[in-house]
Amino acid sequence: MPELVVRMGELAISTTTGDVLVCIGLGSCIGLALVARSGQACGVAHVMLPDSGGRRADKAGKFADLALPALLDGMARVGVGPHSLDAVLAGGAQMFEGSTGIEIGARNEAAVRAGLAAAGIPVAAAATGGNNGRTMRVEVGAGSVTVREAGADEETLRPPSTKPLRGEAPWA
Amino acid sequence: MSRLHYTDLQLDALRELANIGSGTAGTALSSLLGRPVVISVPNAAALELADAVEAAGDPEDVVWGIAVTVGVDLDATALLLVCEDDADAICAMLGVDADNEGGRSALQEIGNILVASYVGALATMAGFELELQPPVAARDMLGAVVATVLASNSDGHDLALLLESELEVEGAACSVSFMLLPTPEGVDELLNRIGLGA
Repeated sequence: MPELVVRMGELAISTTTGDVLVCIGLGSCIGLALVARSGQACGVAHVMLPDSGGRRADKAGKFADLALPALLDGMARVGVGPHSLDAVLAGGAQMFEGSTGIEIGARNEAAVRAGLAAAGIPVAAAATGGNNGRTMRVEVGAGSVTVREAGADEETLRPPSTKPLRGEAPWA
Repeated sequence: MSRLHYTDLQLDALRELANIGSGTAGTALSSLLGRPVVISVPNAAALELADAVEAAGDPEDVVWGIAVTVGVDLDATALLLVCEDDADAICAMLGVDADNEGGRSALQEIGNILVASYVGALATMAGFELELQPPVAARDMLGAVVATVLASNSDGHDLALLLESELEVEGAACSVSFMLLPTPEGVDELLNRIGLGA
């Protein structure tokens, strides 16, 4: 399966079944996944900072306040409106225990959640906060999202979308 | 904003500062461990943030990262990166276990001493007044550690200046990567003090 690595500040959208969108080593950054409920289209942003402060960014995924509109725009372009999307979040950790000044994980998460709430997109699952870095994988087609911490097993955040079977009676 | 373009002369000068800093840090590490320490030629580069994370190595490798925030005249974060095996080896030399609190404290203290010697040398040269925050440590994915420090340090800029040196403990096959990451304002200040400001 082709893995498309979404690096810090980047954003990617795919409708190709089997593509896997990956954010590797999320620390204070947030991996924001928007998944069409059918699973057929997925978008991921690797958000680095909560607020652009009106600045222009050379990468659309960098700031939470710019990343979400850019993702929604991209999803709309592949025919998925905001009302058929689930959000899944990973990251936003406080990597250095006991530090104060260099932590933006919690602020990143708050900014992303506020944006999603304003856009009316439900957060289906999240693995956020804590002190550990994470890698998030989003499988296009299935619409499944997994997360893994260092030295741990992969965990399912969003199970594959269930597809209605053709010809099967709903009561069967 | 992102005016992070440096001339070759400026980068050479920053590399020379890193050389002086890491030389002093190497001497401190050597006397701490009682072994000779070899210092690589430092690297100075302005990189796009995602490239800077990649330049550090395999993002899923588990490492120890010890970070020290530097303030007052020079705004910067110093980051020490030690792979798990090397952290074990260094802790063993100091008679502690990297897996418990003693190991963490020892690594933080090494971070403190190395950063204090490195930036102390810069402070003397450039006439800086500097203050160090207590060291903080994380044992986690390399990418997550480096990205977190870069993100909080970047102040929204797209590029970061990295001054990187490798300190290798002779006869023990272990090494410590030392990175000084000045904020964009920190770099300007550093260049101003050595007469190479914009």
